Amino acid sequence: MTQALDVNERISELDCSEAKGAPTAVTTTATLTTSKFATFAITFGIAFAILYTVLERLNWPLFTYHPAVGKIDFWMQRPRSGEGPPMYWYGWLALAFPVAALVGWIATLVSTRALFCATIFCCALAALWPGAFEVWSYLDDRSKFDTDVVQSIIWMSAIPGLAGAVAVTYLIPVEWTERVWTRLLLIMPIGGLMVLTFSLRSYFLR
Amino acid sequence: MDAIVEFIQGRLFWRILLFLHFSMAVTLLVAVTLQAISVLMPTRQLAIGNFIERVRPVPPKTVAALIVILYVPTFLLGCWVYIKYRTYVRIPMEQFGHWWTVGTFEVKEHVMSFGMALLPAYWWFWRDPLSTDFTRERKWLTLFLAFAVWYAFIVGHTANDFRGVGS
Repeated sequence: MTQALDVNERISELDCSEAKGAPTAVTTTATLTTSKFATFAITFGIAFAILYTVLERLNWPLFTYHPAVGKIDFWMQRPRSGEGPPMYWYGWLALAFPVAALVGWIATLVSTRALFCATIFCCALAALWPGAFEVWSYLDDRSKFDTDVVQSIIWMSAIPGLAGAVAVTYLIPVEWTERVWTRLLLIMPIGGLMVLTFSLRSYFLR
Repeated sequence: MDAIVEFIQGRLFWRILLFLHFSMAVTLLVAVTLQAISVLMPTRQLAIGNFIERVRPVPPKTVAALIVILYVPTFLLGCWVYIKYRTYVRIPMEQFGHWWTVGTFEVKEHVMSFGMALLPAYWWFWRDPLSTDFTRERKWLTLFLAFAVWYAFIVGHTANDFRGVGS
């Protein structure tokens, strides 16, 4: 019993010393950016979440696989009569993984400041572009029946999206980005999942 | 591939693959659940006492490595079995109007893909589990992976119940 109490006292002392010398967000991020693998891994995780969500929403697979006939077509191919259902998921993965790895590798080469600015720009663009698209297509009634209008809105909404992303990158201090950098590792996949699940709502509302 | 399929009768081949996928998924589920418990209820001293207290202090670095090692082949095996799901399971599912099962399975693809992309960072953060740095990152990444694996397991099991091993 006495030994147990001693242990508890020592643990409480340890806790206090840890609290006094607790690392701040900036020092821990500095630890991260000195490790090339950590920079790669975090950038890869963030970049993959954005890329995968964008590729899925735009339906841009690297290839289309037709499992019933065992055939592979480059890029996106619509279902063809007698060839069964096409599969795009492999194509999204085959494009998102290497591109995210490339982005992660580039992140290890650039300066810390450039990395944080690029990260916040891409994350802001990923949020603002689809946001602008949703608002625009909601306001334009033609988008309900005209697919050409929808296509044009997708590209036109890039303009406010880009402008907003530039403004966010300019206005947000690098120190703030430094603090939230590792949090983006979870925020982006969760945001991506929300977007993708929302896009599947037709399955859940039938 | 064709030679293997011909050697083992086609349907049996897919059932073996599905069973392997299931077995690995169960092992992964145990590992990730143990680690999720350990990050949610960390212990401060060697555990003595009941089962729950002894389960909590699992060696975190080893378990993290095990989770990465199990996650990748389970995911790849799932990718392979997915071919059969798309042609043999999903079409009747749609014909019978099981839209919720189809929709939740679509979400499963996305959840597992995101989990796969988080593995390098997850492994890196767990390299030094005793460090006070990155405690929050370790916790939330582990919880995300635990959610992904549990979700995939439940949804995959539901799809298997519709048309799979033993159904």
